Formats: sequence, structure tokens, C-alpha cells
Amino acid sequence: MNTIALGTELVTLTTDGAIATLTLNRPDARNALSLEMIAAMEEALEKIEAGINGVRVVILAGAGKGFCAGMDLKAVQDDPILMGDMLRRLAAVSRRIRRLDVPTIARVQGAAIGGGCGLMVVCDFSFTHPEAKLGYPEVDLGICPAVVAPFLVKRIGAGRARAMLLAGGTMGGESGFAAGLATHLVPMDELESATTAFAERLAKGGPEAISATKRWLNELDGSLDDEQLAKGAEISAELIQTEDAQARLRTLFKR
Amino acid sequence: MPEHVILQFDAPTMTIVLNDPDRRNALSHDVFDDFEQCLDDVDTAIDSESCHVLRIRGEGPAFCAGFDLGAMADGALPSFLERLGAICRRLRHLDAIVVAEVHGPALAGGCALVSACDIVHAGPDAAFGYPVHRLGISPAVSLATLVPGTSPGAARALTLSGESLDADAAVGIGLAAAAHSDRSALSDAVTTLCDRLGAMDAATLRATKRFQNELDGTIDAEVFARSLAASLATADSEEFRARIEAVMHSRRSG
Repeated sequence: MNTIALGTELVTLTTDGAIATLTLNRPDARNALSLEMIAAMEEALEKIEAGINGVRVVILAGAGKGFCAGMDLKAVQDDPILMGDMLRRLAAVSRRIRRLDVPTIARVQGAAIGGGCGLMVVCDFSFTHPEAKLGYPEVDLGICPAVVAPFLVKRIGAGRARAMLLAGGTMGGESGFAAGLATHLVPMDELESATTAFAERLAKGGPEAISATKRWLNELDGSLDDEQLAKGAEISAELIQTEDAQARLRTLFKR
Repeated sequence: MPEHVILQFDAPTMTIVLNDPDRRNALSHDVFDDFEQCLDDVDTAIDSESCHVLRIRGEGPAFCAGFDLGAMADGALPSFLERLGAICRRLRHLDAIVVAEVHGPALAGGCALVSACDIVHAGPDAAFGYPVHRLGISPAVSLATLVPGTSPGAARALTLSGESLDADAAVGIGLAAAAHSDRSALSDAVTTLCDRLGAMDAATLRATKRFQNELDGTIDAEVFARSLAASLATADSEEFRARIEAVMHSRRSG
């Protein structure tokens, strides 16, 4: 196993043969996405995009008990403009993950909530386990999940995405699998081994054929549509800056 | 005062009740008149910011059995298609979250209404489908919302086959969000959902719904117009007239 040096430890990037693993590494905060973490993901993505010798699959993982608790809005609670910027940068990171030339797998243990669940559906594959907690409770908090909507729609279809995003709430791993959030459901103690075994299988495929297929799928499903993806972030950013949303968030953070 | 379709207020939730149970809530001149009146009142309530959730359910054994056959035999089909298409578009563009509570059959025009709603819950005896090609009627008017709401493949199979789906199968293709084991569980679940939606911020929900419409193409009035045009293209055909006449004849003699 090789570790690729990054300017921070909030995200780690390691390789093991053909498999690179990008790990969100802020377990004390359940890997909530702070501005610094998003910046660290950007740095890791630069390395992956530049090409790492022999890497044919990327696993996106979270250190500790949970995959990712979503945006760390509390850390920027006094700055709605910064919240908007975070949403835009998360959207850009999502777009870059989607367009990587190699297949991506989210390995989701514990919670993947809001933006965390957004990262889960950006990846080509998502592995999770029955005890996981998944979903998009944004509307419950008075914030708008438009930023994650494009990839969710592509993953589970517009009708299901509509019901899921408008109703809010969260669900367990089995329901998430049934709804299509996860592509694979395995027992918790087999999550890591099953994901690795699957990644190794993917790595055996012809890399040019896989990247050509992935590029065509991205074109077919609108993943190359910059305008639409950016618009989702703009809508979420605009809404989060309203006095209503800010008041709801202030109440939430006081709890 | 509308009586074939009733609008009830329990702010922030409104409920439209299809209320012609003896005719299985079939879409007739009267039902369309009252439905349109109720939607005008819904618009007013939304504009006044008092309501942002709309529940739709049917009284009696069916949610909605589709167009009234007798009226169609008398030449109402083109206007019925236009009025149905307009109602579907209004439901989809409404600045309220529209929840359908479907017990019993929701067929043809009834299924079109369901496909235009945002969140659909189905009861044990629900049935969804478009058994209308046999009458010489094209269900294309429903495709504007059915295709993005399910998938192109599922919508193709459902509309072309004329088969109907039960609640679980409707969940399977994404037409319904949940299936319930009995009528009271259905009603309770929809009440809980509407209460949840009612407690949420109206502006946020509106923004999310609008972007969903943009993503899946239903924001585009042109899609509804083309969908309607495809149904209208065969609405005045010899084949339709012959088939509906045969149905009416067998009813009179049966």
C-alpha cells in the first residue's frame, strides 16, 4: 500500500495495486464536509485526474463509524455567503468524481446523509450494509437539496427522486438499496472485503473500454451538462442564504 | 358550489376529493367543471401563502375510473383530453406538493392524474394502467408525466400493454412511492406525510419541486402540448367511434 502525500490529513489518498482509495478522514465529525475537506478532496482529485500509475478503480471511503454526515454548515453558521460557496465547490467536486476516467465505488458504512448521500450516488457503484443510515433530510431543515438532485435523478429515476427529496427523512441500508441509492448491499462485516473484491474485478476489465463506456454513459445521462449541474448548486446556494433558511439553521444549531 | 369534486381546507394542507362514487369518480363534464373550479381555489390559497400541500383522494370504491364513457360516445373525447392534459399540467406546475392517496382503480385518465402528482401512496386494492387502446384512444396525453416519473421502458410497457399494475408493481416502476396493506394504513400514512410536508418551509419545497420539474423536463409546457397532440391525433377517428359505439351498444343490451 502506498500513500500519496497531500497537503492535509483531512483526506487521505492511498493506492494498492490498481485500486486507489480516497478516504474522508475527519472521523470525529463523522466526516462532515468542511471547506477545508472540500479543498482536500480537490487536491486528491487533481492527483487522480493527472493519472496515477496503474490505477484503474477509485474507492471513495470514510474513516471511522460513518461515511459522511453531509455539509458541515455549523462551522460556517455565521456566514451564509460561505455556505453558498461550499455548495458550489461540492457540486464541482461531484462533477469531477463523476467524470473520472476510471470507475468509482462509494464504500458506505454508517451514515451517508445529505451531501454525503450525494457523494454516494455520484459514484458509479455504492456498497453499503443493512444498518446504514441514508437519505436527504434537507427539506426537514429548511434547506434545498437541488445540489444533489441531478445525480440522484440519474441514479434512481426522476419519479423516485422527486418523492425522496420532497419527503425528506432518512432510511436504512435495505430501503436505500431497494430505492437504488446503493448498488450493492452486503453484511457490515463484509463491506470492506466485498468492495475490494468488486474493485479488483473491475480492474481486470479493459481500461479503455471501461472509460469509453463511462464517457458515453455520462453523455447519455446528462452528466456532461455543466449548466444543469451548476444550476442545482445555485438554487441550493440561493435558498440557503434566505433569512428563512438561516433562521431555521440557527434554531437547529442551538439544539 | 362544486359537489362532484370537493375541496377541503385544513391549512397548510388542502384536500381535493373526487366525489362521484356511484360512477367510480369517472371524469365527466361535471367532474371536470368542479375539478377546475377547485384548482382555481387551490391557486388562490397558494397565492395567499396559507397552504402548500395538496392531497387528492377519491370517495367510494375507486380513485378514478377514467373518462365517462357515455360522454365520450357523445363526442366529448377531444375536449376531455384537453381538460385532462391541462389539469395534469396544472398539478405538476402547482406551487404545492401534490400527494395522491390511491385506493381502488386509477385507470386511464385516473392514472394520468396520478402520474402528475409528486408523491403517490397506494392501497391494497389499487390498480394503475391505461386500458384504452382497445377503445381506440391513445393515452399519450399522460406520457408527459408518466415517462419522467417512471422510466421510458416502464412507461412504454404500461401504456402499450393495457395491463394494470397493483400497488407493489407501481412502487416497482416508481409510479408510487409506497404501498400499504390496508385502507386505514394508507390514509394514516398520507396524513403523516402531509403533516410532515406541512411543517416544512413552503419556499424551500417550492424551489425543490421547480428544479425537479426542470430536471425531468415537465417544466416545459411544450411537452404537455405535444403529449396532448399525440392523443388528439386519433381522438376523432372512425376506429374510435366504432369501438366506443360497440361498447355502448353492449352496455345497453347487457
